[in-house]
Amino acid sequence: MTERDEIIAIANRLRWEVGGNFHDALMESLYKEAGEIARKTMRKKDGEFAFSLDRKIDKIVTNKWTGFPIMFILLALVFWITVQGANYPSELLSGLLVGDLYNFLRTSFISAGVPDWLTGLLVDGGYLAMAWVVSVMLPPMAIFFPLFTLLEDFGYLPRVAFNMDSLFRKVGAHGKQALTMSMGFGCNAAGVVATRIIDSPRERLIAIITNNFSLCNGRWPTQILIATIFIGGLVPAHLAGLVSAGAVVGIAILGIVFSLVTSWFLSKTILKGEASTFNLELPPYRPPRILQTLYTSFIDRTLIVLWRAVVFAFPAGLVIWAISNIQINNVSLADHFINFTDPFAMFVGLNGIILLAYIVAIPANEIVIPTILMLTVTHYGLQLSGVGVEAGVMFEAGSIDLTRQILEAGGWTVLTGINLMLFSLLHNPCSTTLYTIYKETGSWKWTVISALMPIAMGFTVTFLVTQLWMLF
Amino acid sequence: MNPLVSLILFGLGILFVMITFFPEKGLYYKWKRALLSTERVLIEDALKHLYDCEYRRVNCTLQSIAGNLNISSDKAAELVERLESLRLITSENGNLHLTKSGRSYALRVIRVHRIWEKYLADETSIPETDWHAQAEVMEHELTPAQVDELAARIGNPVVDPHGDPIPSEDGDLPGKEGEILTNLSENDFAVITHIEDEPETVYAQIVALGLHPGMQIHVLENSPARMVFEADGDEKILAPVIASNITVKRISRTEEIRKDFKTLSSLKPGEKAEVIKISNALRGLQRRRLMDLGVVPGAEISAEMENPFGDLTAYRVKDTVIALRKNQTDHIYIKNIERLKNE
Repeated sequence: MTERDEIIAIANRLRWEVGGNFHDALMESLYKEAGEIARKTMRKKDGEFAFSLDRKIDKIVTNKWTGFPIMFILLALVFWITVQGANYPSELLSGLLVGDLYNFLRTSFISAGVPDWLTGLLVDGGYLAMAWVVSVMLPPMAIFFPLFTLLEDFGYLPRVAFNMDSLFRKVGAHGKQALTMSMGFGCNAAGVVATRIIDSPRERLIAIITNNFSLCNGRWPTQILIATIFIGGLVPAHLAGLVSAGAVVGIAILGIVFSLVTSWFLSKTILKGEASTFNLELPPYRPPRILQTLYTSFIDRTLIVLWRAVVFAFPAGLVIWAISNIQINNVSLADHFINFTDPFAMFVGLNGIILLAYIVAIPANEIVIPTILMLTVTHYGLQLSGVGVEAGVMFEAGSIDLTRQILEAGGWTVLTGINLMLFSLLHNPCSTTLYTIYKETGSWKWTVISALMPIAMGFTVTFLVTQLWMLF
Repeated sequence: MNPLVSLILFGLGILFVMITFFPEKGLYYKWKRALLSTERVLIEDALKHLYDCEYRRVNCTLQSIAGNLNISSDKAAELVERLESLRLITSENGNLHLTKSGRSYALRVIRVHRIWEKYLADETSIPETDWHAQAEVMEHELTPAQVDELAARIGNPVVDPHGDPIPSEDGDLPGKEGEILTNLSENDFAVITHIEDEPETVYAQIVALGLHPGMQIHVLENSPARMVFEADGDEKILAPVIASNITVKRISRTEEIRKDFKTLSSLKPGEKAEVIKISNALRGLQRRRLMDLGVVPGAEISAEMENPFGDLTAYRVKDTVIALRKNQTDHIYIKNIERLKNE
């Protein structure tokens, strides 16, 4: 027997003696040793005071009676500041990008002798979609996320997860999903990235796949507009505002319910076997570095928005212009599609225009309404006073009344409005989010499931609503 | 179309999908399982059965193969003939024995089975009652190279989660150790070393009681009717026929007997204690994360606060506050509980 064989033989014999627990024993001895060294060399300053202050704050924010009100007030405050603060800059940006700069680009393209189709494709298509996304998305993103980051920096957010964990545990998820869900209300792609804070593989996948059920800020304007026109229109004028706001909040809450139910379903079925663990760190409170946080968070989000506008919205704009202007047998591609899908869309109480808008708006939900309006006007050849609509040029009607007129001329009813609101909540995530999901999970399987599951749910829900509506 | 008609069609569609894809019971899964009964599976299962007989030192016959594999005697006779022609077994007066190559083939299959069970236990959340059935499938599918890669990835485990030794790459396996639980008499102390995972229903009962290898047993009563014992301090009652599926090792020295069975979940806010053991019920990732955070035997831990619903508690370990759920703290044992002074 050579020396080598002998060693291997001894190793093989010792293997059985050492047994299965030596990893544990090794770890235990490492900690023991490290603890000894720390005890000998480290001197503690009077650290107890800081801890006791932390516990005092914790007693208030995790208390049964004060914890939840504080949480709701803080989150409501964040949303309120976002909505109020974003109003003015949004209008300003929109006036600048969709108004002045668009007109300037158009006239310069024409005077430079660029062919009509190229001007249409680049300026009316690509640029306009880009401008739309930036003006709708940038201001709320630039306000919402810095505020959220401040709360995180202070150390408050982990306490929200601590309070909410009981609910999420029951549906097989992690308490921190409360945070990624809230982030999703700003932007689903950002919410998906935020799931990195969940270190358990199963719970993280659940949070990623269900993040789409948080109504992101690209979808809020759609919800508000449609609720105002169709739900608000059902009640007397003095109640309209309240009722339509209630409808939008109802949709958002419905999204949370869907998110919880889906989490439960996923944890019991396809994600049942994924490894799972739990721990939630409650870091000490510290004064947030306000300026630094605001600045970095602002720059980060702005860059994301701009990147998304260029990479995803610009091509979408090209497609929108192209399908409206390329004709086969004197009928545009868009009209072919609308005519073909209209009968199917009827079953789910939508129409071909909406389906087409949701396909071309996969890159950016912000352009759904402008696309629907443009397609409705061109498809039905509507003549409207004061609106000169060209094929492929998205627009927003100047007033709610005008929007209502266009949609009603397109055959919309209250049922269409309700279904659109439901479908806007329950459909595939935008391409930015899908791309982010792929990057975060590294798996096509989860990306495809994240895309198809909400769509299937959306069609099911709208189908049931439509058929029941017609039944009664 | 009439809405009632479309709703009914929709319901039928959902029903169809349910029947086809319902987990475990759906047609799709039944069809997939039916595809598995190939010749290779029969050969490997027969070899495993023969190895098991050898291990338990009982005789194996054509009938026992037919019974164990759930096939007809004719089919079993065909199978035995095939095994003989492959020189994997020899027969002697109706008793079947493994040849050297038959034994090493059997050990290879067992190695895959046990490594896969260990993998399921450590790296996934698949419930322990499903491990065996899944490993029964995988043992016929993985190649030796894939198994060695998997074994290396999960740290070349020595024993599977039931306490069975995993054969090494060369087919090395230690002899049988320990004795069955029913051998113990009143007031004996022992540690569970192995829990047999077949038959399934018996194993499910043992799992339901929360028993697993590594637990300390203290026998309170051993009669033909029932066995009463404490497992890590909790009283359990088993029928002897079920208890005989549990293998234990006696604790010879009295100082090795553990007396503290308080769990971390019993620690109240404002109290501190010392961690003595993390139960084997916390496996794989769960166990590693806990230990990473410093929850190791010997560590000092104090309970800080509970969440509003009282099912999540924050603990301070090594000057860090982490919250743990009750299904974790139920499996962490502590001793020397004291009240903190400045509370």
